[in-house]
Amino acid sequence: MFPKPIANYSGGRQFAYKLAVPLVLFLWLLPLLAIFMTSIRPASDIAIGNVFGIPSSFQLLQNYGEVFAKTDALRYLLNTLLIALPTMLISVALACLTGYALAIYKFKWALPLFFLFVAGNFVPFQILMLPVVDISVRMEIINTVPGLVMFHAAFQTGFCTLFMRNFIKALPFELIESARLEGVGEFRIFWHLVLPLVKPAIAALCVLIFTFIWNDFFWATVLIQEDSSLPITVGVRTLNGEFVQQWHLVSAASLLAAVPPVLMFFIMQKHFIAGLTLGATKG
Amino acid sequence: MTTTAVNSSNRFDTSTTQIGISAVVLAVCLFVLFFVISTSMIQEMFGFARQIEARVPTFFARMIFFVAALAAAFFLITGTSYYKRNKVAMAPWLFLALGLGFFLLYVIVPIFQSISYSFTRWDGLYDINGVWTGEWVGLHNYKVLLDDPNFYTSLKNNLLWLILFMLAVPIGLFLALFLNQTVTGIRVYKSLFFFPFVISQVVVGLIFTWAYNPEFGLLSEVWSWFFCEMKENIVGNMTRVCSVDPPSILGDENMATYGIIAAGLWPQIAYCMILYLTGLNNVSSDQIEAGQLDGAKGWKMLWHVVLPQLKPATFIAVVVTVIGALRSFDMIATMTQGGPFGSTNVLAYYMYDQAVGEGVGRYGYGSAIATVLFLIMLVYISYFLWRMYMDEKEAR
Repeated sequence: MFPKPIANYSGGRQFAYKLAVPLVLFLWLLPLLAIFMTSIRPASDIAIGNVFGIPSSFQLLQNYGEVFAKTDALRYLLNTLLIALPTMLISVALACLTGYALAIYKFKWALPLFFLFVAGNFVPFQILMLPVVDISVRMEIINTVPGLVMFHAAFQTGFCTLFMRNFIKALPFELIESARLEGVGEFRIFWHLVLPLVKPAIAALCVLIFTFIWNDFFWATVLIQEDSSLPITVGVRTLNGEFVQQWHLVSAASLLAAVPPVLMFFIMQKHFIAGLTLGATKG
Repeated sequence: MTTTAVNSSNRFDTSTTQIGISAVVLAVCLFVLFFVISTSMIQEMFGFARQIEARVPTFFARMIFFVAALAAAFFLITGTSYYKRNKVAMAPWLFLALGLGFFLLYVIVPIFQSISYSFTRWDGLYDINGVWTGEWVGLHNYKVLLDDPNFYTSLKNNLLWLILFMLAVPIGLFLALFLNQTVTGIRVYKSLFFFPFVISQVVVGLIFTWAYNPEFGLLSEVWSWFFCEMKENIVGNMTRVCSVDPPSILGDENMATYGIIAAGLWPQIAYCMILYLTGLNNVSSDQIEAGQLDGAKGWKMLWHVVLPQLKPATFIAVVVTVIGALRSFDMIATMTQGGPFGSTNVLAYYMYDQAVGEGVGRYGYGSAIATVLFLIMLVYISYFLWRMYMDEKEAR
């Protein structure tokens, strides 16, 4: 283990370390803590310059309630959910199929096609922007939630395929070969043999894609102008314009937008990190 | 002997009923899809007041028939004797078809479309007959680009992002080394350190916009500890008087980009940290012990023994940091919108601004900017693919 375990050091240094970790953490999360404090204080505090001291009164419920009452925050949150969940289902399902095809079958197009998915996954969004707008206009789904889902699902299929293919490639190939020798059909092998084995990968991808899509801002601004279909990230940005100088409300709304991915991360931490660090340990 | 021969020939025979039924279903679905469903038809059927309201139901109706057509096509193909005889060769294409088609339609083809737009002058509109209204202008957009000071500012800022964003890799490494201990509660600490990455960049942008606010932000508060004191003014209220006023980071042409990059580093460091923490988990203790026997300690140990083993983590960290730097858009859009005076533009934001921002509608010019950005990214993509190709060759 590197660095040397702290337990091997003297008591004084151990104590110093145990003190330093929370201190560094406090500094690291200071912007977040400060904005949380702002979100629970009354507006009058900020006006008189009491931004960091003890709030004159705690208005957690009032401030967050006001965000819901004064704005469409609830609808924005619902829209985000309606965008993130179907995207997650479609892209992970498609990637199970493509990843299986690219990992199991040894045909000459397997590697070039795999690289196509990988490369497409890394292109800058701007090179896709105008044609995607154009396609959405022609399919008459611009400015709608399904329109955004279609694009996200297609794009995320690239990342999911990269992940799935590598995951399936690591499974013991003899399993599939022996099933084939017994005359089991290709789709049955996929459904009954491989799919149960890739459950951890499916879980990791679901968490990741949900978080990615929840936090998406660019595609929502490009593909959706109508207020009724906006997701929370764009909604929060708009609120920032409406609540000029009402920082207690802006910060409450911002934190609200951050809650679901943070919860998702804490509940599914193991899968989340397994997904993000794919490839960080191999070799 | 004869029975097996008969059986096997049956097994590969075309199933006529299956093909017949699927062909009929496929034809019906395609007919409905292309000649029957339209927004006006759905509007009349369900009595929507405006055609726009019929768009989503129309989409779902189309999807139903599209999926039905796909299923029919699937049964059609698997019913043929050709498929039955070439199962292992045909099956991957059936598995791939949907995902690949989708990906080609929305990701691969648009790349080439964008590049072709960059040789035109177009405002994104079609005339009433659906005819494209742009005109072909050759390399004109690229010539304009070369004389555009905003383009150079963006390019310079992209370079700044690339260089300064790389700081996330070493800082992430040191944070990971700092946290790679086994004291009680360290797991909770690790996940709390990871927090900034999970939050949307828009929210990070808003947090830092507020932190940088010269009147009541986090930074002005810290500033006032050093340069300001509270004094009673003539009316008797307490006001803050500063010997040097706190800087307005996002309002200053020379500082704004650095301010945004610093904000962007916050989640990126967290990402690199988690990559390294995973990497450190897998560092072999044998080699560390061997290093200790050779007298390696501290920095030497890190450089000669640990870092080589962290190579895969470093590679991924660099890749995601480069991509993050070149994709920087959300932060700029929330914090400065390219201002003040275009000083925080990067190619990604400038392209957006030219193409759809503020009613400019320069699709051709925007595509030229996007193409330049794509070419820069292509260097890294090629390198990444080459590395992957080498790994694949090794694995065989």
